[in-house]
Amino acid sequence: MSRLLTLLHTRLALRTTAIILLIVGLLGVAFLLLAVHFRAQSVHREQQARLEGLLTTVERTAQIACFLNGEELAQELADGLLSNDIVHAVRIESLDGKLLVGRGGPIESPSDALFTREISSPFDAETPLCRLIIDPDQRYIDGLVGQASRFVGGALLLQLLGIGFCVVLVVVRYVTRPITGLSQRLRALEAETGQKLQAPRGNRDDEIGQLVNSVNAMIDNLVQSLDAERCLRLEREVEERRYRAIFDNVETGIFEVDDDGAIRVANPAFRRLFKLPAKRDLNRHPIDFATLVDPEGSFGASPTTVVAGGRGQQWEVALGDEEPRRWVSLVLNPLEAGRLQGVAHDVTARKRAADAAEQLAVTDPLTGLGNRRGFDRRLAVMGRHHRLYPDRCHALVLLDFDHFKQINDTHGHHAGDRVLRHVGGELAVLLRQRDYVARLGGDEFVLLLEGCGQRDEVEALLARFVAGLQTPIELESGVAITIGVSIGVALLGVDTEEPQEALLLADRAMYAAKRAGRNTWRFHPTDGNG
Amino acid sequence: MIRVRACLLIALLTLALPAMADIAIVVKAGSGVGQLTRSDAVNIFMGRYRKLPNGNPALPLDVAALKARFYRALVNKNLAEINAYWARLVFSGEASPPQQVATAAEMRQLVAHNPSAVGYLDSREVGDDLHVVLILNE
Repeated sequence: MSRLLTLLHTRLALRTTAIILLIVGLLGVAFLLLAVHFRAQSVHREQQARLEGLLTTVERTAQIACFLNGEELAQELADGLLSNDIVHAVRIESLDGKLLVGRGGPIESPSDALFTREISSPFDAETPLCRLIIDPDQRYIDGLVGQASRFVGGALLLQLLGIGFCVVLVVVRYVTRPITGLSQRLRALEAETGQKLQAPRGNRDDEIGQLVNSVNAMIDNLVQSLDAERCLRLEREVEERRYRAIFDNVETGIFEVDDDGAIRVANPAFRRLFKLPAKRDLNRHPIDFATLVDPEGSFGASPTTVVAGGRGQQWEVALGDEEPRRWVSLVLNPLEAGRLQGVAHDVTARKRAADAAEQLAVTDPLTGLGNRRGFDRRLAVMGRHHRLYPDRCHALVLLDFDHFKQINDTHGHHAGDRVLRHVGGELAVLLRQRDYVARLGGDEFVLLLEGCGQRDEVEALLARFVAGLQTPIELESGVAITIGVSIGVALLGVDTEEPQEALLLADRAMYAAKRAGRNTWRFHPTDGNG
Repeated sequence: MIRVRACLLIALLTLALPAMADIAIVVKAGSGVGQLTRSDAVNIFMGRYRKLPNGNPALPLDVAALKARFYRALVNKNLAEINAYWARLVFSGEASPPQQVATAAEMRQLVAHNPSAVGYLDSREVGDDLHVVLILNE
C-alpha cells in the first residue's frame, strides 16, 4: 500500500491516471446507475408492450370464450399465454368474480403489477363480459433487467478501462516522457559554459517548450551573472593587490579600529610611526587605540563615538614625552558598521615649520623680541583674559628712547641697531616668564606685565631698568654711549578696561614723561610732576 | 341493345331498393315466446343461449338467401367473420352453429312445425303460422 502511495507520489502519469480514473469511475457509477434505471424502465415498458400485444392477440378468442363461457377455449387460450416466458399465471373471471379459468398457479404479483383487460362481447363492444388477468413473471422480467444492466455495466467498465489505458499512454507519451527527458538533459547540462537546453521534438511550441525557453533564459541570466561576478572578483583582486601594495609601502599609517576601540589592522608605516613591533599580530593581540594615541585620555570617549554621525574626524596629537615632540595627524572615517578606518600622518616637520613661520611672523628680526604683530596678538589675548578675569590687572608699559635719532645720525645705523639689541636684551632679562616684550618700531618698545596691578611693582622694575641704562653701551668703534628713556605706564583693570585704550593712555603717559624731562616714567593719570 | 340492357338494369336496381323489406325473426305461432330483445337474438343465434326465454331448447336456423343480410343486421358482421367465429368453436365443441336451411319456404315450414326453432324471414313473407319476435331494421 505504501509502495503504491510512493509510486503515486512520484509518478505523474500514474497520479494523473488515477485521478482521471477516479473521476471517470465516479461518473461511470453515476451513469451506470442512471443507465440501469432507464434500462430497467425501458425493459419494463417493453415487457408491458409485449404483454399488451399478447393480450391484443388473444382478445378476440377471449371474447368468444367469455361470450360462450367456454372453459375449454379459455383454457386453450390461457395455455397459449402461459407458453410465453413472461407470463406467470393467467386468470379469466367474469365481472361478478366467478372464475372461468385459472392457469399457472396462484397470482404472485401485487395487484398494481397485474395486467387486466376487460373483455367485452364479440358482438357488442359496449357490453363487458369478463376480465382477463395476466400475472407477469417478475423473476423473468428482473432477469431481463439484470441482463441489460450487466451489459450496460460491462460496457461502461470496458470503456473505463480503455479510457484509463489511453490516458496512461497519452500522459506517458506527451507529458511524462518529455519531462523525464528534459530533466535528464538538464542534469547533464553544463549551464556555466552557456550550454542551452533543447526542447524535445514536437514540444517546441507548447508548454514544455515554454518551460525550456524559461530555463534557457534563466541559464542566460545565470551565465551573465557568473561572468559579471567573475569580472568583479578579478577587479576586486586587482583592487585588493593595489590596496595591499599601497597599504604596505605607503608612508602614511593606515589602520582599522573596531567597535571596542581596539586596533585590529595596521600597516608598516603606522607601526613605525607608533613604534609597534612589525611582527605583532594585531588581530590576536589588539592594541587599544585610545591608550596608544592619547595616553592622557584627553578626548575621553572611544573613537567610535568620536566619529559618531557617520562623518570623518581629524585631529592632531603629540606623541612621546621627549622634546621635540612628534606630531601625528589622525583621520578616522567609518568603514562599515563596527569598523573605522584611520589614516595617520607624521606632521612633525610641517608642525615645526608652521611653528617657526609663526614665530618669525611675530618676531622682530633685529632684537629677537616680539614685533608689532606679536604685540597686537598678545594684547588681544590679554584683553580676552581680562574679560574672563576682571579682577586681575595688567600693566602696559611704553618705552621710547631719548634722542635715538642722533645716535643713528652720529654713529650710523649699525650703531643704532646695536643699541637697540642691547636695550632689548636688558628688557628681556628683566621680565618674568609670562611677561611679553616687543619692539613696535624704531626705538619704541612695549612691555606687557601680566598680573601686575601695583605701581610699586612696576616702579621697582623700571627703576632697575633705568639704573641699568646708566652703564654706557660700548659700540664697535670703541665709543661708549649712554641713552635715556621716557616711559609711560597704564594699568589695564585700573585705568581702563579696554586694551587699546590702555595703549593710548600709556602713550600719553610716555609723552608726559618726555615733557617732564626725559629719562623718567609716568603713570596714567599723569601725576603732579608729569 | 346494350343501352337498353343497361337502362333495364338501372331501372331494376332502382325498383329493387324499396322492395328490400326488414328481416323478421320468427318462431312458431303459439309457442309461448312473446318478444326477443336484440341481445337475446344475438345470444341465441351466436350459440350462447341454448334455451328460449320460455324454457324450450332453442334451435336457430340459417337460410342461405338471407344469411348475409341477417348477420349484417344482427351483429354487423359479414359471412366470413361469422364463419371464422364458428370455425373456432367447432373443435372445442363449446357450441354449434345454427342449422342451415336452403330456402325460405323450407325455413317457414321448419319453424311452423317446431316450437324450438327460431328462424328469420323477409318481413313480407311472414305467414299466420309464424310469430314475429323481433324486427331487424336494415
